[in-house]
Amino acid sequence: MAFGRPLLRTSYEEDAAILPTAFQKAGVGFLILSLCLMALDAPIFGAIPRYFLGNTWLVPVGITLCFAIGALGINILVGVTGQVSLGHAFFMGTGAYTAVMLGGNLGDQESWKACVPFHDNLGLLERQGECGLGLPIWIWLPAAGLVAALIGIIVSPAAVKVRGLYLAIVTVGLVFIGLHLGRMLPEWAGDFESGRRWPKLDIRLWKEETPLIEMSEDGKWFGLINLTEEQKQFFFLLAIVIVMTLLAKNLVRSRTGRALQAIRDRDVAAEVMGVPEFKYKRLGFAISSFYAGIAGALFASFTGRVSPIDFGLLLSVDFIAILLIGGAGTIAGTLLGTVFVELLPNVVERLTEWLADQISTGGVTGTIADFLLTTGAAGDFGPISIAPTAPGWPMSVFFWNLVIYGVLIVVFLIFEPLGLFGIWIKFRNYWKGWPFSY
Amino acid sequence: MAVTTTAHSDASTKAGYPTVASRARGWALAAPNQLALRDKDLGIWHERTWGDIWDLVLDAAHGLLALGVDVGDRVSIQAEDIPEWVILDLATVAIRGINVGLYPTNPSAEVTYALNDSGAKVHLAEDQEQVDKVLDLPRDSYPTVSKVIYVEPRGVRSYEDDRLIFWDDFIAMGREHRNANANAVENRMGQAEAADVMTLVYTSGTTGPPKGAMITNANCQFAIELFGSTPERMPDGNVPNHKDSALTYLPLCHIAERIFSTWSFVGNGVVLHFGESVETVLSDLREVQPTLFFAVPRIWEKLHAAVVIKGSDSSPVKKLLFNQAMKTASWIGKERAANAGDWTVPTRIAYGIGYVTVFRALRERLGLRRVRYGGTGAAPIAPEVIEFFMGLGLNIYELYGMTENTAIATANLKGRVKVGTVGEPFDQIKDGLRIDETTGEIQVKHDGVFAGYWGKPEKTAETFTSDGWLMTGDVGEWVDGTHVRIIDRIKHIIITSGGKNISPSEIENTLKVSPFVNEAMVIGDGRKYLTALIGIELDTVGNWAQKQGLGYTTYRDLSEKPEVIALIKKEVDRTNEKFARVEGIKKFHLLPKELDHEDGETTATMKLKRSSMEEIFSDLVESMY
Repeated sequence: MAFGRPLLRTSYEEDAAILPTAFQKAGVGFLILSLCLMALDAPIFGAIPRYFLGNTWLVPVGITLCFAIGALGINILVGVTGQVSLGHAFFMGTGAYTAVMLGGNLGDQESWKACVPFHDNLGLLERQGECGLGLPIWIWLPAAGLVAALIGIIVSPAAVKVRGLYLAIVTVGLVFIGLHLGRMLPEWAGDFESGRRWPKLDIRLWKEETPLIEMSEDGKWFGLINLTEEQKQFFFLLAIVIVMTLLAKNLVRSRTGRALQAIRDRDVAAEVMGVPEFKYKRLGFAISSFYAGIAGALFASFTGRVSPIDFGLLLSVDFIAILLIGGAGTIAGTLLGTVFVELLPNVVERLTEWLADQISTGGVTGTIADFLLTTGAAGDFGPISIAPTAPGWPMSVFFWNLVIYGVLIVVFLIFEPLGLFGIWIKFRNYWKGWPFSY
Repeated sequence: MAVTTTAHSDASTKAGYPTVASRARGWALAAPNQLALRDKDLGIWHERTWGDIWDLVLDAAHGLLALGVDVGDRVSIQAEDIPEWVILDLATVAIRGINVGLYPTNPSAEVTYALNDSGAKVHLAEDQEQVDKVLDLPRDSYPTVSKVIYVEPRGVRSYEDDRLIFWDDFIAMGREHRNANANAVENRMGQAEAADVMTLVYTSGTTGPPKGAMITNANCQFAIELFGSTPERMPDGNVPNHKDSALTYLPLCHIAERIFSTWSFVGNGVVLHFGESVETVLSDLREVQPTLFFAVPRIWEKLHAAVVIKGSDSSPVKKLLFNQAMKTASWIGKERAANAGDWTVPTRIAYGIGYVTVFRALRERLGLRRVRYGGTGAAPIAPEVIEFFMGLGLNIYELYGMTENTAIATANLKGRVKVGTVGEPFDQIKDGLRIDETTGEIQVKHDGVFAGYWGKPEKTAETFTSDGWLMTGDVGEWVDGTHVRIIDRIKHIIITSGGKNISPSEIENTLKVSPFVNEAMVIGDGRKYLTALIGIELDTVGNWAQKQGLGYTTYRDLSEKPEVIALIKKEVDRTNEKFARVEGIKKFHLLPKELDHEDGETTATMKLKRSSMEEIFSDLVESMY
């Protein structure tokens, strides 16, 4: 270490450090600390997310954390290995259903309805489906990742045969297979519309009654601090995200990571340089699917009840949007993109609610709100509908959010292919080069 | 690695005259765990302590003994700046051998000359390129060379020649010898005498073949003592010490780099940094951020050009601030130059403001942010360049010296700087410097004056006056009775057919202040008027041409463009304004190629070989008259 000479590296460890400078270490430390303070509803810190996302902000943020893990996975496949895949939703589903099969309720504990109630094809008779094995989380969570990874390995030969657009289409096929299975196997997936219940995130040693670490009810944690159910789950998910981020970051800077990137930049050239194409494409799929499986299992457990529809094509597209907006190939960009894509709709909705309140107050904000919003009544115009109307003009906030996505993806692809992270890079380089431009 | 020599050093009966080797041993004994140097290899700066270094020096010295190197035998080195250079140098001195440094750019013919002129017994050739220079010729072309050590095995491994030995094997051999004859090196060190020649420094040889100047242990001792005990030359009054870092990048065979690297290293414990190659100097500089930085004018000019060009290329907001800062800098530079190099309250305030916006970042980018002492010497520099760096807040001092006086003559001192002069004679040699009244030549006489040219007593005699003063060959004059201004080399003074005496280097250096001019040679000896051959700087002129939408293919093509000639014409006119009419350049011609050591146009230190230049470009010269 050479003090005060940040560019002078005396070891490779120093050169490849995840957070090379003290400033960066402090920055990330502060970020994690403030997230914790927000969740604990500390003064000032707690007010920030509540202002943007409302009082129940821990729910969308919890989902965002689950998605962040999935996004890290798709980044390894698409951003790092360069294999376009639209099948991410399928792998998430694989993880989720593995979790419920292993960790779901034992049938004899409650009435059969607690397991998988579903209607027969005519929608008349309510019938009983399969329950789970009731295994603890330390089994079903890793298993969710491993089973998804296994499916990923089985699928990966396709990536060697086909590239680019064709690979994307092959992987889309997976999603439809998944949806079809979901419809065909109601005794496992539950009702196609309403789904089935998932095991809670409680940590048990085995199948004992009182969990080792309580995660599904409000109350004292470790006999120390009073937390709500959402707070507990938030900390649990945050810890997993941090671990998964570190693993992903480590992977990218390792020999394996460099091999994956070589495949991305040109698979033929990589093969010529001694990077076995098939091996690393398979590995890319396996790791990516592992992340997806974990993410799917956590997402389903956190939400409590999901249906096969949730693992449809839109979910895959969501992940592609996260990558494109955040910045493919970069860990920070992926996390940034997840936050942006998952939380922005909530912010927009909250903003609309706030605007709606403003109409009655009058003044400048009231006028703006009146101009933008419409209740759908005659003579009231504006592009955003706050009435529970059918699709069409004026559009509801939900549809506006979809439009904003589309526009954002187009804009980023054209103007900033590296996404939000690219903007940061530009900003950083501007100051790095000071007072020159290069 | 532990230093295993403690016991042996007590065993040596005599202490011996202090040498660079005994000084290195002193550090290893006093502070074996202190950081000695950093060496960049594959992107990482590997650190070595004094204990490690001395251990290696001992192994190398034993290796030389094993190779049969005797007292007074020559060991030559042709390598870029690598730690092995310094280690072998110290090892050679330890066993009372004589180190001979060659420039890595020396072509085969010059290598042959130097190796045979010095009669080198062992030769270190860094890599395949250098090894080939020796092995390509038949064996009897080098009658004295018995071993060739190579450091970089790539390409050399397959060579079959019993003279070749790999550095690691050489060190292993030395270690074996050391185990068998523990005290051999220490005994040799104990016999060291003041009059021992420690190194032959081949002078650049602008005229005639290079001559090997013999520098003795006494010369070296005098230089180290003098530089180490002159705090007035440092801006903060602290002589160089182990907290200082320096980048070793100029050729180590040159006396200037020897003083600022090896001798500061063993004399003051300055931490040396060896970059990856000469091509990476600029990025190495940024990483190392040295505190002591000596550069030849060419480097300062290049840094200056880089700042000007990059600044003009930056985006609008940056350019606005940059231009403002440059205006401030030029004012600060002028003020400081007028104030003997010192700060004044207004310049401090102006610099403080500029520091926040531009200067700090700019110096960081250049790698000069932590420089507490900047030196320039070895060739004349234009005052504008010094002022420019003073304006950036650098404390930069011009020194003067030459190989033959171990680079000890004059220096600008803290608070007593006169820009445009080379400073005052050091206190220790106050009566050892005079300017001959008839010829104007600077002459010196002190303990740093060399022992003569190797094997050339008649040449040695020619360099001394009848009363034993060294003739430097430089014409100078006193400024205010204290400072010395160098006018030019005696041999370079131009006497026009009108009988006017003109110093070409001043005009040339003013031309070279322009970022577009890389090389300039003023001609006019015995002619009616002055003309100049000017070499453009490919990077900056190329960059300029691109901005003008001017397409070009080669250096020659670029230098023949009428737009480029017009651009340089402006620079020539600007220069002419600063000089008297007779010193004005009437006509000039751009050089069709970049000057090169191997083509015989410059020396290894990129000094112009004027007579051969006039010969090579005689058609261009004649076309101007």
